[in-house]
Amino acid sequence: MTGERLNDVSGDVSGEVSTAGAVVAGDRVEPEAPVGAALPRDEPGGQADTKPRNNRAWFLVLPVVVSVAFTAVIPLMTVVNFSVQDIFSPTDRIFVGLDWFRSVSRDPEVRAAFVRTLLFSAQVLLLEIPLGVAIAVSMPRHGLGVPVALVLVALPLLIPWNVVGTIWQIFARGDIGLGGWTINNVLGVNFNYTLDSTDAWITVLIMDVWHWTPLVALLAYAGLRSIPEPYFQAAQIDAASGWATFRHIQLPRLRGVLTIAILLRFMDSFMIYTEPFVVTGGGPGNATSFLSILLSKIAVGQFDLGPAGAFSLLYFLTVQIVSYVFFTVLTRTGR
Amino acid sequence: MLEWMVWTPPTALVFVGLGLLLAGMAVWAKISPPVARRGFLRIETDRGDRLYIGLISAAVVLTVWIAVTDLSMWLALGCALLVALVIGIWG
Repeated sequence: MTGERLNDVSGDVSGEVSTAGAVVAGDRVEPEAPVGAALPRDEPGGQADTKPRNNRAWFLVLPVVVSVAFTAVIPLMTVVNFSVQDIFSPTDRIFVGLDWFRSVSRDPEVRAAFVRTLLFSAQVLLLEIPLGVAIAVSMPRHGLGVPVALVLVALPLLIPWNVVGTIWQIFARGDIGLGGWTINNVLGVNFNYTLDSTDAWITVLIMDVWHWTPLVALLAYAGLRSIPEPYFQAAQIDAASGWATFRHIQLPRLRGVLTIAILLRFMDSFMIYTEPFVVTGGGPGNATSFLSILLSKIAVGQFDLGPAGAFSLLYFLTVQIVSYVFFTVLTRTGR
Repeated sequence: MLEWMVWTPPTALVFVGLGLLLAGMAVWAKISPPVARRGFLRIETDRGDRLYIGLISAAVVLTVWIAVTDLSMWLALGCALLVALVIGIWG
């Protein structure tokens, strides 16, 4: 009942609506509108359902809009301006139209890096999401185990990217690194991430899994903790197996947090830079030169602002599309 | 003041157009609030959602066009606007 009233905050956005509890003037911004609505008041009898919602609370996001405009939208506009010009110096520049887009989108190196990065993100999601959920499900729910497990799981998240890169660069070395040495001498597999492109790829992939699976696990654990106990009691009464409980109670209830986890992990792995840069520097050859590594080489290394601008925009477009598709699929299916 | 942003007339036109488009959508939403419905995209969208999907699709058309053919970009722009229009009306 109260919930319904919350939504039925009287109101045509443009009009002036007066009810027993409060007066909401049309031209006045009233961010606390939902709070005011919680006060007891009389419904204006039966009309509430057809009226549009009062969305004035959206004005509360104005500071975010301003800061995003300042930190993201205006720089992005500048990138768009860069991408259509050949810039020699701030005062000396030529309009070249869409030439940079043409050359960047046809560059075999860029295309290879694009496919490589998509493949990497797909592998990261396929490994980290199931693994993170599995860890979350098997973490203790009561007692002393909870803080111990939480701290242990969260440890890799506290380590900065470049340190993670350095750790793995040394750990995976065949001569002095524990991991690399064990693989070479105990397992008897020839493993050298500085020479073999597959080995380099696997090293970067496992490093990312090690670093970021805890994030998925913590999000999933928070989601699991929010499931009310009666759900599990009901499952127990129905003699549901552990798998059935997971499949029909826990997994559906994790939809929200997994949406966030998938989006975060996709965006983060799609822009991965520091770790492969420290471990392999994009090599051997081009084996681990992901889009961001190639982009920073063009933008900062060679200072080709025009091509780098065009490159960034194509990169940005891809992130937009994949994020929107994930978001739509995860939030709108089942409606 | 805006010299550091290295504006060019075409990009300025694009952004002014986008700004007008968003302002127009806001005014339109005020006059008649958008209604969510289902079109050939099979998801529930209101006109703002369809505008976003249409613009992104138009950008994809332009990108693919410039990546694979040497045909005129005006033709590509026509196709892109057509795609955005189709999504906006029936999407």
